[in-house]
Amino acid sequence: MSIEPGVGKSKRSADDANGKSFVGPEDLRGYDPASALSVPGSFPFTRGVHRTMYRDKLWTMRQFAGFGSAADTNERFKYLLAHGTTGLSTAFDLPTLMGRDSDDKLALGEVGRCGVAVSTLSDMHVLYDGINLGEVSTSMTINAPAAIVLAFYICVAKKQGVPLDQLRGTLQNDILKEFHAQNEYVFPPEPSVKLVIDTIEYCTQHMPLWNTVSVSGYHIREAGASAAEELAFTIADGMAYTQLSIDRGLDVDAFAPRLSFFFDVHNDFFEEIAKLRASRRMWAHIMRDRFKAKHERSWKLRMHCQTAGVTLTEQQPMNNVMRVAYQAMAAVLGGTQSLHTNSMDETLALPTEEAAKVALRTQQIIAHETNVPQVADPLGGSYFIEKMTDEIEAKAYAIIDQIDAMGGVLPAIDRGYFRRTIAESAQAEQRRIDGGEQKIVGVTDFVEDGTHDMEMLKISQDTEDKQVSKLKDIKAKRDVAKHQAALTRLREDANQDKNVMPALVEAAEADATVGEMMDTMKEVFGAYGGGPEW
Amino acid sequence: MVSLAPEPIEMTKPTKNNQPPRILLAKIGLDGHDRGVKVLARSFRDAGIEVIYTGLWQTCEATMYAALQEDVDVVGVSLLSAAHLTVMPELLRLRKQLDIEHIPIILGGIVPKEDHAALADMGVAAVFNPGSSVDDIVGKVKQLASMHEPVKLEDVVDGYAKRKQNALAKLITSVQRGESVEGFEPPAGDAVVIGVTGAPGVGKSSFIGKLGEELVSRGKRVAVLAIDPSSPITGGALLGDRLRMMSASPEREFFVRSLASGGAAGGLADVCPDVLKLLTGFGFDYILVETVGAGQGDVGIRELASHTLLVLMPDSGDAVQFSKAGIMEIATCFVLNKCDLSGADATQSQLIGAVGDARPIFKTSTLKTEGIDKVADFIVTLS
Ligand SMILES: Nc1nc2c(ncn2[C@@H]2O[C@H](COP(=O)(O)OP(=O)(O)O)[C@@H](O)[C@H]2O)c(=O)[nH]1
Ligand SMILES: [Mg+2]
Repeated sequence: MSIEPGVGKSKRSADDANGKSFVGPEDLRGYDPASALSVPGSFPFTRGVHRTMYRDKLWTMRQFAGFGSAADTNERFKYLLAHGTTGLSTAFDLPTLMGRDSDDKLALGEVGRCGVAVSTLSDMHVLYDGINLGEVSTSMTINAPAAIVLAFYICVAKKQGVPLDQLRGTLQNDILKEFHAQNEYVFPPEPSVKLVIDTIEYCTQHMPLWNTVSVSGYHIREAGASAAEELAFTIADGMAYTQLSIDRGLDVDAFAPRLSFFFDVHNDFFEEIAKLRASRRMWAHIMRDRFKAKHERSWKLRMHCQTAGVTLTEQQPMNNVMRVAYQAMAAVLGGTQSLHTNSMDETLALPTEEAAKVALRTQQIIAHETNVPQVADPLGGSYFIEKMTDEIEAKAYAIIDQIDAMGGVLPAIDRGYFRRTIAESAQAEQRRIDGGEQKIVGVTDFVEDGTHDMEMLKISQDTEDKQVSKLKDIKAKRDVAKHQAALTRLREDANQDKNVMPALVEAAEADATVGEMMDTMKEVFGAYGGGPEW
Repeated sequence: MVSLAPEPIEMTKPTKNNQPPRILLAKIGLDGHDRGVKVLARSFRDAGIEVIYTGLWQTCEATMYAALQEDVDVVGVSLLSAAHLTVMPELLRLRKQLDIEHIPIILGGIVPKEDHAALADMGVAAVFNPGSSVDDIVGKVKQLASMHEPVKLEDVVDGYAKRKQNALAKLITSVQRGESVEGFEPPAGDAVVIGVTGAPGVGKSSFIGKLGEELVSRGKRVAVLAIDPSSPITGGALLGDRLRMMSASPEREFFVRSLASGGAAGGLADVCPDVLKLLTGFGFDYILVETVGAGQGDVGIRELASHTLLVLMPDSGDAVQFSKAGIMEIATCFVLNKCDLSGADATQSQLIGAVGDARPIFKTSTLKTEGIDKVADFIVTLS
């Protein structure tokens, strides 16, 4: 088999590291390992955020999963806790993610399908019933209504008597990437970001252990961006939240350590490792030099990674196990703090238990059999890896400069910059695939006829019916005057540009639904129909 | 790829006007994964197809009603939420109810093999899974489009007279394709035709959507002709105006038709007067025509409209650009949209400096639905 240099690679020229058949010291002329690399656990953290990395503490194997009703999920949580899990991961269903109640017209057929349905505080009480929020850490993957869900969580903690400053967990709460890629936005960009800053401000004051935003490149990449674009857009988003929080009057060292990141790990093995390494170095410099953060904790980019869902194929689905394994290995070699491995059957339907188990086992094999975790950043110093790390960093900085020149992330959204760039990259990739330039095993090459017998998970309509009737019940029984007063306060606080968190907590306690709170804020903030598309 | 339709047939000869195939692409439900649908939209355009994209979060009803108004050759539905067995039967039921069974529906998304036969049986024309080649999908769309039969006049004249939108839509298709409508002359009507123009991205479509809504709520019958440029190379087009407007519904007297400006000079100019005649004769009170404005894709629509609204946005530098283009002189009034953004007052002064204050200048925000009622108050005084 002969391989053309650079064939099948995205947007690379023969000058790039990947365009050469080997990379040597002459390609790294003038390279200063002391400043570019240092040692693991030291600025600029290229080699990792901890000195000993996985030798002392393995990455967190955080498998994100969702189950029908709050009660089902609660049962699952308790099972996981009984088996030694200390971190819970909550996936919400699509209506909840869009800030709509289970009885909304557009929710039909979606309630409890890809996660748990939460419409009122009561659902949240059921979800965490019998679980001490002072002892577990919880991650909640939600964005547009993130502030509302946080308010629910606060109410549950209060009821349990857990002081807010003991709450540990992560809220995804990254609305910017919704405008770029995932489309789960509700309000226009500006007020949407204001809500994020409200939560950062509230948490900085009351919940110092809470990770306020998980700045996410994952969805940007899945939508079609290149690795450099994913890196650049994510860092740019992180910079936007940082700048706006500073503008709000917060001390950078008070909130920055609670920002974390979330990257996709795609097929191009070394490029992905380089991307993760470059992200740390960039963030360290940006925080120290641009935002003048003084504490080392503010400079460290901590990340969660997930293997790339888009790379999985419906054809010959067992091949996906191998794809996930290589991607997971890249994440570990790149120094991630936590990792989700996808299930082989995800392109077909929701993962079955069996497939989800293989995905977890893949991580465990890397952790316990390969010996890879024994040494921090084992690829550090490789001519090729260092050259690639430099290159992807340079490309990302160039993109960030472009965004700066447009006036920052918000004006760039208004111009449709992110969506256009991502769509163009996605189409370019499709052209390479259609043109035979980029191969996909089992799809473009090595194709087999016939169908495959994969077992698939089906969800019943039952959850939806029960959830809808429960919601009706709550609406009928709640204290109308208290409910109205709480929504009125929310409207006023939003109107007066106050931090809405206290009003959301009050509304949650008055049994206002997610949909009602979103609609109330929509009256003030407006609804967003999407930016320029083409 | 799995194709449920018969073997490809010979393409029928192109329509007289070389009207490219037209497809409506819809994403139904709450799922926001639009990578696939957008790659396809671009690929269709590059393959010389006109694509009407209705945006995210569509209901089944709005999708089929849009298909009715656009009278497209094919409806393409993208579904990644595994709801195909709920959504497709509903679409097909609506298709029957709306009497547009001549429009085939194809589906793309994550569809287990075992469901394919059921979908074919219920009448879905083709199903494509992730990994289907774009060429195959394009081929299928072109083949389905070539099977779109010419309109028979006797089938639509009656419906048109009874103000049935599907009859109107089919007649517009005939005009677009250059089919003979000899012997058919729509009644005169007395619609006010208003051109809405301005630079790309200032919010023309969003504004027309809101203005239309306001006029409809005042009991007016409103039609929109939304014109976007065609690709000069392939003749394909991405028609995205519709996605900014309120969703179509049989309950509203709000009719939206998307047109591509056409590759060759004259293409649209030939068709536009006839389409306007059809819309006027149908009995609309107001016809809002969205064009890209002076210079780009100028289709001479301004000669057909009795009034022109020029839409601008803060800090756009448009003022200068447009005064050169001469469109400042002919505008009946000015709409300074996006006033929720900063710089609106400055742009307003700049505008007054350039055109004086004899003609009205309205400040609007379609995002916050502000100022639209004032424009409507003005519009209803026009004739
Ligand atoms: N901030 C703001 N954005 C708007 C407003 N109206 C439209 N937009 C945005 O402007 C962009 C272009 O809108 P569109 O109606 O497609 O403009 P057109 O190209 O002139 O038809 C979209 O991203 C809209 O969301 C407004 O009043 N305020
Ligand atoms: Mg438009």
